[in-house]
Amino acid sequence: MVSNTIQFVFENKVCKIKNPDPNKTILDYVRDDLKKTGTKEGCAEGGCGACTIVLGELNKNKLVYKSINACISFLPNLNGKQLILVEDLIEKDNKLHPVQEAMVKFHGSQCGFCTPGFAMSLFSMYKNYSTINNEVVEEALSGNLCRCTGYRPIIDAAKSLNNKKDEDKFKKNQNKTINLLKKIKNVDVEINNRGKIYFAPKTIVNLKKILKKYPNAKILSGGTDLSLEVIKLRKQLKTIISLNSIEKLNFIKKTKSTIEIGAITSLFDFQNFIKKYFVDFYNILKRYGSLQIRNVGTIAGNIATASPIGDTLPILLTLDAKVIVQGINKKKIFPLNDFFISYRKTKLKKGEFIYSIKIPINKENIFKAYKISKRFDDDISSVCGSFSFLIKKNKIKKATIAYGGMSEIPKRASIIEKKLINSDFSENTFSKAVNLINKDFSPIDDMRASRNYRLSIAKNLLLKAFHEINNKKIIRII
Amino acid sequence: MRNEQLIKGQSIPHDSASKHVSGFAQYTDDISEPVNTLYGAIGWSKKAHAKIKKIDLKDVKKSEGVISVITYNDIPGRNDVGPVFDGDPIFPKTKVEYFGQPLFAVAATSTEFARKAVLKAKVTYQDLTPIITIEEALKKNNLLFDPRIIKKGEPQNKINKSKNKLKGSFNTGSQEHFYLEGQVCLVVPKEDNSLLVYSSTQHPSETQQIIAKILKQKSNSITVMVRRIGGGFGGKETNFMTSAICALLSHKTKQPIKLRLDRDDDIIITGKRHDFYSEYEVGFNDEGKINGLKLKLASRCGMSPDLSYAINERALLHIDNAYYLSDLEVKNYLCKTNTSSSTAFRGFGGNQGMMAIENIIDNVARFLKKDPSEVRKINFYGKNKRNITHYGMKINDNVIQDIFKSLLSKSNYKKRFKEIRKFNLKNKFKKKGIALTPVKFGISFTTIHLNQAGALVHIYTDGSVHLNHGGIEMGQGTHTKIAQIVANSFGLPFEKVQISSTNTSKVPNTSASAASSTTDLNGAATLNAAIKIKSNLNNFIKKKYNIFSKIEPIYKNENIYFGNRSFNFKKIIQEAYLNRISLSSSGFYSTPKINFDKKKFKGRPFYYFCYGAAVTEVTIDILTGENIVDRVDIVHDAGNAINPALEFGQIEGGFVQGQGWLTMEELVWDKFGKLKTFSPSTYKIPAISDTPKKFNVEIFKKGSNVENVVNKQKTTGEPPLMLAMSVFFAIKDAIASVSKYEKTPKLDAPATPEKILMSINKLKNTT
Repeated sequence: MVSNTIQFVFENKVCKIKNPDPNKTILDYVRDDLKKTGTKEGCAEGGCGACTIVLGELNKNKLVYKSINACISFLPNLNGKQLILVEDLIEKDNKLHPVQEAMVKFHGSQCGFCTPGFAMSLFSMYKNYSTINNEVVEEALSGNLCRCTGYRPIIDAAKSLNNKKDEDKFKKNQNKTINLLKKIKNVDVEINNRGKIYFAPKTIVNLKKILKKYPNAKILSGGTDLSLEVIKLRKQLKTIISLNSIEKLNFIKKTKSTIEIGAITSLFDFQNFIKKYFVDFYNILKRYGSLQIRNVGTIAGNIATASPIGDTLPILLTLDAKVIVQGINKKKIFPLNDFFISYRKTKLKKGEFIYSIKIPINKENIFKAYKISKRFDDDISSVCGSFSFLIKKNKIKKATIAYGGMSEIPKRASIIEKKLINSDFSENTFSKAVNLINKDFSPIDDMRASRNYRLSIAKNLLLKAFHEINNKKIIRII
Repeated sequence: MRNEQLIKGQSIPHDSASKHVSGFAQYTDDISEPVNTLYGAIGWSKKAHAKIKKIDLKDVKKSEGVISVITYNDIPGRNDVGPVFDGDPIFPKTKVEYFGQPLFAVAATSTEFARKAVLKAKVTYQDLTPIITIEEALKKNNLLFDPRIIKKGEPQNKINKSKNKLKGSFNTGSQEHFYLEGQVCLVVPKEDNSLLVYSSTQHPSETQQIIAKILKQKSNSITVMVRRIGGGFGGKETNFMTSAICALLSHKTKQPIKLRLDRDDDIIITGKRHDFYSEYEVGFNDEGKINGLKLKLASRCGMSPDLSYAINERALLHIDNAYYLSDLEVKNYLCKTNTSSSTAFRGFGGNQGMMAIENIIDNVARFLKKDPSEVRKINFYGKNKRNITHYGMKINDNVIQDIFKSLLSKSNYKKRFKEIRKFNLKNKFKKKGIALTPVKFGISFTTIHLNQAGALVHIYTDGSVHLNHGGIEMGQGTHTKIAQIVANSFGLPFEKVQISSTNTSKVPNTSASAASSTTDLNGAATLNAAIKIKSNLNNFIKKKYNIFSKIEPIYKNENIYFGNRSFNFKKIIQEAYLNRISLSSSGFYSTPKINFDKKKFKGRPFYYFCYGAAVTEVTIDILTGENIVDRVDIVHDAGNAINPALEFGQIEGGFVQGQGWLTMEELVWDKFGKLKTFSPSTYKIPAISDTPKKFNVEIFKKGSNVENVVNKQKTTGEPPLMLAMSVFFAIKDAIASVSKYEKTPKLDAPATPEKILMSINKLKNTT
């Protein structure tokens, strides 16, 4: 069955929109059509969090709440979800929600413009955690900028919610909401809005059929990058295929030797899974965009956009990841190292999509990764360095070194690798090897960092990795 | 005001807090538009300096949804939005002077259509050489005004005679305001060509006057209303471009227009903080006491004067910070560059002047191998001696020594100073640094006539109070504090006072909400109105109830007490109304005692000074330049604070904003004058993890105001931003450890990880 109507739960009712504009953002829908102006536009690129809304989703019959940036999410993404806006938090008798009460009590708002976004991020934090410590707070609010308060009162407000019993109206309405969400018939969506077409198939079979017919369509999962073409470049995306309804692409599978991540698995889900295996991968993912971005963004999306500064890419290169590409007829497997061609270009052909990513687990290797940026939270790397070594009897047996921000694609430092392999694992070896950095890379000057600085930290990160391994301790300030 | 009861610190929430958190606080973009509203967008220059050969707007006009397009031909009156001087054409006729300068504008049936349409313009330019940096402008002598020289004593002579001398140069960077609510305006045409203007401005009166001038109408035909703005920080003080263009579009189409700048456009089109470059020569004794100082102080002003003269003047007035400079000369250069016109930003040049002197003091201390806090201390202004500023003002409210002493012990500075040096010996890659810096900041507009304010207070027959004044609520809580003043004056609960939108038809000829003086000025004007109404009431009660005693009545707990007799406020209001007593009054205030001769650079430009000091401890990673603020201790003087909760908000928020300015916030222009950092993805303001890990803020316990300021408070608007200077100098201290404190690092602001690492590398290469 195919439907041209999206359905979502809003204010305890199922709302339906027939053929919505697939290039319209949820933010514009909320402000212009629903006339709910509590959700603000701060930057319209997912960088400030003023537009944060929360989506309730059914996951194995349980409601999960995700904060997202309404400004970079297209309207059809609401399909099958519960839309929660800042105006909805307040109880019937005008009583503030506990997160709102805390913000008032701790003087967490000044000009108030960013505040609705903070309230929504706090709301999803409140719904998802009962123990609330610094780490939880900083993650929950990493995508919300405030220019007035300096954040201290907001952090205090957030921490005051620790171990508070969740008795809000969403809890009380939980079963009703679940029933409403279940009522929404889960069917393939096919929208045609004045020539703008949008598909959200449920199965890979249907996806392939659509791809065959529309090989030039833009494939969307989180859409945090793709949406900017509409919002920033003011282009029109004529044909979009969303992968988000294909449950089969949402998975993390682990065998003894590999971890496989499906194309639409969110970075947030992945981040929590990978912590056990590669803690530095987790550390960097925690600083990948903001929680709002990681709630929808995917590893596959990061690979497909092939940005030279995509933070997961040097790490995946170092870990020898493979990309599983699904064509109309068959699957292909690319080592990630062969996947990038040039600036934002990959070997992905028309009509193909990334099915999954496989990461080998090799417990003998020592893995280290570092991200250097102007700001800790939600910033793009000046340089991201990732290192994996196999050391036996103080000899370097294997060295896999990759950097982001050093060339037009995320790239391995093959000359340095060669120099290191079969050398002693010693300061002398590394001090010499780092001087080859200019042979491997010729980075550019831009607004994030100068060429010299990039070269300098690229060297120093490799030295840092050596010292950390050598001293068996973490030498970092952040 | 003398007989008014002072409020002793009532920490109530911001009046709009509940509305902020629930999304019901309305900003300009949230006002429901009239049905026939059109939406605007601005087309701007893609060159920083060029002659305009041709602007072809055919495709713009044909673009979907476009109703009207305007150019300089559609301006009936003045084609300029410059507040003091000309130089900011709305649409230039012949020449563009910065990348992002507006050239034309569009009204369409939706914002999306308007924004798409402006991209279709075909503009032909003839390139001229752009001047982008201070260095280039100085070299080509491209200045807005003749250099200004201020001099006191015999600095060169004193330097020559000094045992120790240092020379050097120093830069502080620009800063984008990044108010969360961008520039936005809604103009609704009314009868008789009059306009109702809703604007996100800090300065409704000037918005009114400028629109009147560009439309060649009288000011009485323009009404500007502002309920609140989503942050200003100076960026909405003179940025009249948005409201001017919005008014022009409405004038042309005779329809309501909303013009909301896209974030990128906002950052590209509007002005930012002035970058400053300084060169100095200083002579000092072995204790570090400064004998003589010569400075060259140059700023990047952008393509027009805007407020640059006043901003540079404030830099000159704060070149002393908290230090007595007996012999001083400063040459000030206002560089004209092909960049957006640099404008007001919290601190208004004061902080750039203060950074220059703090850097000098820091270098003096490092040269003498002394704890910089000691050198700061011995240079402080004295209470009875060494208390005349370089502009001839006697300081009679100096509390910096007291604050310094209190902060030293509260922060345990001396002990930590030693511990940090030990830590740095033990750690190869992580280095810590600590710094204590003071703040002394002068309060009043240095343009004397601006120090005035008006208010309007009504009491309705049910006893409820309607409050209006000329100040803008931009987050600082001025409405809350002024409502507290009114409630306190009438002895009413806070809830009985209704705060209303700032409105040029209620209170005319107001000054910008700026210079930290909004509550001082408007609070006093409001109190003046309340006192007038109370006088009417008192006279009425006395007459009606035959009270002959001379005791001042007390307004408290919704009653008015004349000795033993009390009158219920609500009842007496009804009675007064029936007896035809006026229950409404305007109020007015002008700051006393101030004067300033700009030519001679002499006088008393400030009514009083704000003081504070901060100790900051940081850790840096010397392999990467990454840094973290571990701990901050602050003691700040807020006088007799009306609402300490709001003052804490200003102090902490100001600090973090200053921390951003001096660490991560970096604006980058390419050599063609194109701004490369114009969105949150490339321009980074502090985020949640940047908040100091330990943040101990104390309002100075002995704080008061020696002057008769409303409630004896001291403002906390701008001064706390400068407390963040301690972050910068703590980073410099950490870098110095790399040379075992033998050498002085060269570090310019902002101290980004890159600048820090490069400074470390340089230090390593010279040791």
